[in-house]
Amino acid sequence: MIGLVAGIVGQPSGPAGRRDVVIAGGGPAGLTAALYSARYRLSTVVLEGYQPGGQAALTDRIDNYPGVPGARGHELASLMRSQAVEAGAEIVPARAVRSVHSEEGFATETDSGTFESPVLVIATGAAPKKLGVPGEERLYGRGVSYCATCDAPFFRGRRVLVVGGGDSAVKEALHLAGYASSVTVVHRRDALRAEPVLASKLLKNPVCGVIWNSRLLEIRGGDGVESVLLETPGGPRELEMDGVFVYVGRRAETDPFRGLVELGDDGTVVTDGTVRTSREGVFAAGDVTGRELRQIITAAADGARAAAAAYDYLQHHPAAV
Amino acid sequence: MALLSAADAEQVRKLFSTMTSDVHLRLYTQRLNCDTCLEAERILSELSEQSDRLKVEVLNALTDAGRREADGVENVPALIVGDGSHGRIRFYGTPSGYEFSTLLTVITDAGTPGDRLEKPALDFLSSLAEDLLIRVFVTPTCPYCPRAAVTAARMAAASPRVRAEIIEANEFPDLSRRFRVQGVPRTVVNDLIYLEGALPEAAFARGLGLALPLLAKGEPVDMAALLSKPREEEESAGK
Repeated sequence: MIGLVAGIVGQPSGPAGRRDVVIAGGGPAGLTAALYSARYRLSTVVLEGYQPGGQAALTDRIDNYPGVPGARGHELASLMRSQAVEAGAEIVPARAVRSVHSEEGFATETDSGTFESPVLVIATGAAPKKLGVPGEERLYGRGVSYCATCDAPFFRGRRVLVVGGGDSAVKEALHLAGYASSVTVVHRRDALRAEPVLASKLLKNPVCGVIWNSRLLEIRGGDGVESVLLETPGGPRELEMDGVFVYVGRRAETDPFRGLVELGDDGTVVTDGTVRTSREGVFAAGDVTGRELRQIITAAADGARAAAAAYDYLQHHPAAV
Repeated sequence: MALLSAADAEQVRKLFSTMTSDVHLRLYTQRLNCDTCLEAERILSELSEQSDRLKVEVLNALTDAGRREADGVENVPALIVGDGSHGRIRFYGTPSGYEFSTLLTVITDAGTPGDRLEKPALDFLSSLAEDLLIRVFVTPTCPYCPRAAVTAARMAAASPRVRAEIIEANEFPDLSRRFRVQGVPRTVVNDLIYLEGALPEAAFARGLGLALPLLAKGEPVDMAALLSKPREEEESAGK
């Protein structure tokens, strides 16, 4: 039993309209920005999209958020959410589709109406990158998954492949090891990129094995995953497999803001090193930026800074409100 | 030990205090061959302590077979939730983890007047010419799942043509196999239309509108593939 997650899902959004601050994204960055912004007494709305809690909510166990050892991702996310709501922020299930600059500030179009505001915080985070190999799209939900926390139980006693060598790949491989009969990690280099504590856990786990210097070429199967084709130093190799979990990095979710702010080659929002973007009045926080460290704590810190910058901006541009 | 922490119980009481009408919950369990029935009973019993608006009935699936058949209950634990006028929304399995927030939402919806869906979905429902059975497969650890489950439940609440079943995929391996569940949320409508992942309700309604005319062929219909087609193509496919 995993406990009970108390809370309400997707209340119909309140009337769209004008707020002091519109925050796109409901992960740790957006929720922290909302908490601070609401405490500055700014009218604040979070466009939560369809992934409450962001990537944090998808992480089974979090051991590096100070003060909360052994946190469960969804619990931490749901605490952040209720704290923001308690402070007075409004959270709606709307997802930003496009944001444009107008004379009155910014108009953010969502699938539930348009929200206007003098200040916009982009905190839409990042989504798992796809590999783009044959079979991946067709077998999604049929053995191909990007969420071990969601889907691990379907692979009880079965063989799974994990693609990647970073923190997420290793963390989720360890989570899968609690269910699967074997977990094979395929990594294109000869050493894991994951933090050493995680990497050594994986290498010691009797259920897990690593295939080094190799990459996945194809996922095969009819109605479900049956095998994978790897390119290995010893030549192509086909392995029988029941599931494939892909953790090869993330792609910033910035499509709605294309044209509004400058984006880097990798799609992340370009900032001045903190939270300021190329456009006045627009701030960015968390994994949506191109910062080197992408952690819950850095996302939350960005969120606090973005709210402070928003407050400061509104103080100096009173006409904007 | 209580399943609901003091803080959660407080939050639930606050949520339920906004309800203005009674909500009926009918739980079917049995003592034999049901590992999770007791847990479901405990969750429901703790929940019922948080509001007088909840009218809870616990039935034995074996000895109350007449009621069970009338309700069309095929698995236990089964929980039917509504305003008392219909039995179109049910949960199969223990509503724990994220599924608990789905349950809280469905209860609060039932006890509070007003539309829960926005216009595109309501328009779609009022134009429905056939009955829909929407099965949403979920797991307690899946944060995307409540969104898909709640959309199905809200459609069922809004239209007598729609029934929603929210199924804990781990607890019913046979059903999961039958509907080939290997990832959640997986939504299956009228046995053949399937969707992986959660969609905004308007997109889900649009996807159903596109998929329903294709059902006559008797073959599986992938809703995501329909929705990813460019608009013009899609409109002609919907005709």
